[in-house]
Amino acid sequence: MISALNSALDDIFGAMRLRRVWIALAHEDIGDQHRRTTLGPLWLLVNYLAFAGTFVFVFQPAGKDAAGYAAYVAIGLMVWFYLMEVISLSVPLFKREESFIEGTTLPLFVYVMRLTVQSAIRAGYAVAGCVMILLISGPPLTPAWLWSLAGLLLILLTTPALITVFAFIGAFFPDSEFIVGNLMRVGMFFTPVFWVYNGQGTIQTFAYLWNPFTYFLDIARIPILMGKFPSNAFAFTGVAAILMWAMALLLLGRYRRQVVFLI
Amino acid sequence: MVSIKLDKVSLVYKLHEKLTLSAPDRRLGATGGRIEGSGRKQFVQALDDVSFELTAGDRLGLVGPNGAGKTTLLKVLYGIYEPSGGTVGIEGKVDALFNINIGFRREATGRRNIVLRGLINGWSEAEIEEKMEDIIAFSELGDFIDLPFKSYSQGMAARLAFSVATALDPEILLMDEWIGAGDASFQEKAKRRMDELAEKAGIIVLASHSESLIQSVCTKRLTLKGGRVESLTTAPTKRARTATKF
Repeated sequence: MISALNSALDDIFGAMRLRRVWIALAHEDIGDQHRRTTLGPLWLLVNYLAFAGTFVFVFQPAGKDAAGYAAYVAIGLMVWFYLMEVISLSVPLFKREESFIEGTTLPLFVYVMRLTVQSAIRAGYAVAGCVMILLISGPPLTPAWLWSLAGLLLILLTTPALITVFAFIGAFFPDSEFIVGNLMRVGMFFTPVFWVYNGQGTIQTFAYLWNPFTYFLDIARIPILMGKFPSNAFAFTGVAAILMWAMALLLLGRYRRQVVFLI
Repeated sequence: MVSIKLDKVSLVYKLHEKLTLSAPDRRLGATGGRIEGSGRKQFVQALDDVSFELTAGDRLGLVGPNGAGKTTLLKVLYGIYEPSGGTVGIEGKVDALFNINIGFRREATGRRNIVLRGLINGWSEAEIEEKMEDIIAFSELGDFIDLPFKSYSQGMAARLAFSVATALDPEILLMDEWIGAGDASFQEKAKRRMDELAEKAGIIVLASHSESLIQSVCTKRLTLKGGRVESLTTAPTKRARTATKF
């Protein structure tokens, strides 16, 4: 166990020393995806606003429940799209980086951080869109917003661990790319991204309480919408982050040298 | 002092029958090496009891049929594969020329690609800056260096890839086949660059199927078969580089 931990930390520190590599590659990735377009990466902002606007327009409840729905959806979509993208792109990560893994001695964590930076840059545009909606829809600006910021930071800190775990799952189980992709698409409807839980129905209760994504959404959403610190959601997400990091370190330590034989 | 010492090195890896919904006969990919075991417990014995020692000035040629373990051995020396048994002791900075096209981005300019390849090679910003003009000059790309890589002809792309890949100061150089690039005139230049590179390196390990190349470059010859050393001989030196025929 100790040797696995040392091996994982070697890989991580090696990747940190090469941070210029993954930062440069992540920027190139984002640039390549929008090269020759008029708006460039601003398309990410447009996409987010189009989605959020559509959901608000179609699903906004009537009456007093309408207040705050735009903000509810804006934050929910921002976090959900981020998690969905991170998880879906993580599964085929090592396969995607095959030529690098078989031809260089770069630490595996370089590829993990490359995807982390890429996802964070994309999320930055969604955050900008979300702030715009929040300012327009009008939830009062309170110090509790800082808890939302802390929540987003916690999600960001969990990201490399999430990517590592799902990348190893993808390496050992290639079909998981499609299984996870489908689950994430379906998962949007089982997660309170755009529907509001009011104690209605068994399925909604189950989907709200037993869905781990609920708590990732709540740590960013509750402080802004309700002006309070969501202790349960933070506790759950914190424990989930620790468990993900433990799994990531274990997988990285034990199997990082095996990945080249798996892809 | 640069040196390489391998003592009873073996590389065995499990043939992972991937957890997949594919039909059973499609589960195993094509593999090289010796496959041992049966059923779910199959292993590839890629290297078996490989020992040798090289010191400064040695040029080792790896020969053997396809699947003998030449590339695997190079990758063990480079650190991509971790041996499952034995010890690998290496003193000196190891550089490798395996896939010279790795990491090139179609949308980025030639200049940006040099920076990216430099970063991947572990060069500092100062080193990249220092090598930049030499690489551009050697590649003969001129003003094209600031155009996207995708606008290059095959020959231009090969020249840039070769120029970046060989802008090394190797102490130990690993090569999977001698590389060349570009049109006839550039080929001559590429040969001279490879000779200079070989001259600068303290130790060279070259895997090749070309008997004449091995004879002209190498001072030692390791023949592999099925991952095992069949013979290790000291070759008569025929390193009259100017008379080299590739």
